[in-house]
Amino acid sequence: MYELFIAMFREEWRIHSTMFGSISFALFPVLIAAITFMGSVILPYLEAVVPGEMLSFLIHAQFLLLGVMVGGFGLLGQEVMNRRFGQASLLAYSSRSLPLSDRHIFATFVAKDTVYYFLLWVFPFIAGITLGIPFSGLSLSFAGVVAVTLTLAFLFGLAMVFLLSMLYTRSIVLLAAVLIAGGVSALVVSGTGNTGLQYLFPPFALYQSFTPLLLLYSLVAIIIPFTLSIAYMSPEFMGRIKRFPNRYNALAAAFPQFRSAPLVAKDLLDLWRSGALVGQILFSFLLPLAIIWVTLSVLESVLPGVQILINFAVVAGIIAATMYTWLTEFDTIGTYTFLPLGTPDLIRSKLASFLILQFITVITVAGVAVISGEFAAIIPVTVLAISVSAYACAVMVYLAGLWPAVMVYDVRVLFSSMVLIGPVLLALIGISSIHILYAFASLLLLLPAYILVRLAFRKWETWEKAFY
Amino acid sequence: MCPVIESCSLSKYYGDLAAVNEVSLRVGQGMLFGLLGPNGSGKTTMIRMLTGQIRPSSGSATILGVDVVKNPVAVREKIGIIPEQETPPSFLTAEEYMTFVGKIRKIDDSEERADWWFEFLDFSDKKDVLCKDLSRGTRQKLMFAQAFLHRPVLAMIDEPLINFDPVLQNTVKEFLKNYAKEGGTIFLSTHILEIAEEICSDIAIIHKGRIIHCGPVAEILSRQEHLSEFFLDAVGKGSNV
Repeated sequence: MYELFIAMFREEWRIHSTMFGSISFALFPVLIAAITFMGSVILPYLEAVVPGEMLSFLIHAQFLLLGVMVGGFGLLGQEVMNRRFGQASLLAYSSRSLPLSDRHIFATFVAKDTVYYFLLWVFPFIAGITLGIPFSGLSLSFAGVVAVTLTLAFLFGLAMVFLLSMLYTRSIVLLAAVLIAGGVSALVVSGTGNTGLQYLFPPFALYQSFTPLLLLYSLVAIIIPFTLSIAYMSPEFMGRIKRFPNRYNALAAAFPQFRSAPLVAKDLLDLWRSGALVGQILFSFLLPLAIIWVTLSVLESVLPGVQILINFAVVAGIIAATMYTWLTEFDTIGTYTFLPLGTPDLIRSKLASFLILQFITVITVAGVAVISGEFAAIIPVTVLAISVSAYACAVMVYLAGLWPAVMVYDVRVLFSSMVLIGPVLLALIGISSIHILYAFASLLLLLPAYILVRLAFRKWETWEKAFY
Repeated sequence: MCPVIESCSLSKYYGDLAAVNEVSLRVGQGMLFGLLGPNGSGKTTMIRMLTGQIRPSSGSATILGVDVVKNPVAVREKIGIIPEQETPPSFLTAEEYMTFVGKIRKIDDSEERADWWFEFLDFSDKKDVLCKDLSRGTRQKLMFAQAFLHRPVLAMIDEPLINFDPVLQNTVKEFLKNYAKEGGTIFLSTHILEIAEEICSDIAIIHKGRIIHCGPVAEILSRQEHLSEFFLDAVGKGSNV
């Protein structure tokens, strides 16, 4: 297991360092530490805009999302690697050529992900907090607690996505039953005056009250899904050959308003048939948002409902922007280099597909506003979420072109996106909190979004593709 | 008459490495032109530059009079390309992929044309299978069919027969010879010398990024029995065979 672990670890490093160069990628944890350090320094000022409890929650939610995304990449890795590097593969899919069982490989893969992403994200984050202690007024014990809870938040996301994916490959009915049971439990608990809602996100509950019992609870909430997903994994799922009737023509004809309708139809079929549409909506959108919403509800005692809704809409907008990433995962420009298409054509088509997918964001945010009973806020928060999503997506398109999922690990890209998006979000949360109608100011983001996309066309048109 | 392909001192550098070095070529209409060379000699890089997939470091090239650097999309509109590594989109069926290519290339009767290709290359039974589930050979058939769907004046083909069985290789070789006879131009990159000897009218040999020979195949065969002998002498490995 040790040799395989080291080989997988090296493989993960090489995937990233090949794309950005070893030095650029090695600087990534340094940048995370630097950003966290700066965040710690300005923490007293940040808390004037966003309450400390909310900040803590958002950071835990971010690590949860990281776990979800890392797990998603692992499960789709074979396909992604084939698209990006030709007939390449990951060691995680090598059970046919190595004398190792799928379960053994999968268990090692989980161990590798845990250590690798701890070193890449969690450790630098904690280092930044620790270095900032003299300025932030935080304590060393706080850094210790956060080190544990953020690691667990990441592992919780990883465990959840593995569990739900295992259920998905076994039986969609079983998956639906588990999700419904989870949803009903959340509703029942929330019906009892929010007591205990935080227990649905155990690492955050542990952060709020660091006790041995809650630590045990968090570990159990992670170990059980991991164990179940390893025990009941179904590798045969990926090998089935299916036949499909021709749906492409009808789908391409359904979007006559888009110049890139043939490409949009292909994108949508890719998403649907790969299972990514259902999978991503569930695991990368609804699941994190559900956890975020449930946990935000815990803060109802200290924050007005509409402010919680504003924060939710902003987070939903950011997560919705990652739908652009979903669309770029299943093909690369290499697929099109022999057709009369340029990079701007491809970006334009991905944006058209992105626009279509935003109905999911509209339904989710408007739905949550209705459930919250904040009827007057339905339109403003929906506009807020969509505007944030469009702007964050435009930033992503400008900085990462057709390669957002991999270029996020480029230090310059990550830093630039944080600078371009972070202050805007804080400003929007701030002014929308003054009065909900100010949320409409987010529409102003559409102008820089448009400009960024136009600039992106020019920027990526002549870019020499180092990887496909 | 304007040549179909014309390159002038075309070079591509990756750092200090010259993948293609000062290559000048002229390929006329109706030629079945073979670009031959050992692995890593620069064949694929040359094709990728000529089709506007990558930009040259220096030099210039035109395809059917269109500058490949200034207007790569217009170049790809006119020509058909079979890349070295077949990459049809994973989650379209073979039939849907041909429709997709037809729509991108704005071909009105693409479905009828696609059906002809499914029959001709004998894979009609795979029309409704996702591209990702197709065998390597069937994917190669699909890539071959998409390159000729719009009946291009020029087809640029990188190792076209490598995954085909002998029967299909024969069918495809006959097709290419007839295509050139009827006025089409084929630019074929390969390291399988028997294929080049059998079907090419002209060849160029590229070695370490430089063209070391260019001319009609008949001229070579008038002096040596097989193209392989000439090739091995040219690249300096004749004594090892």
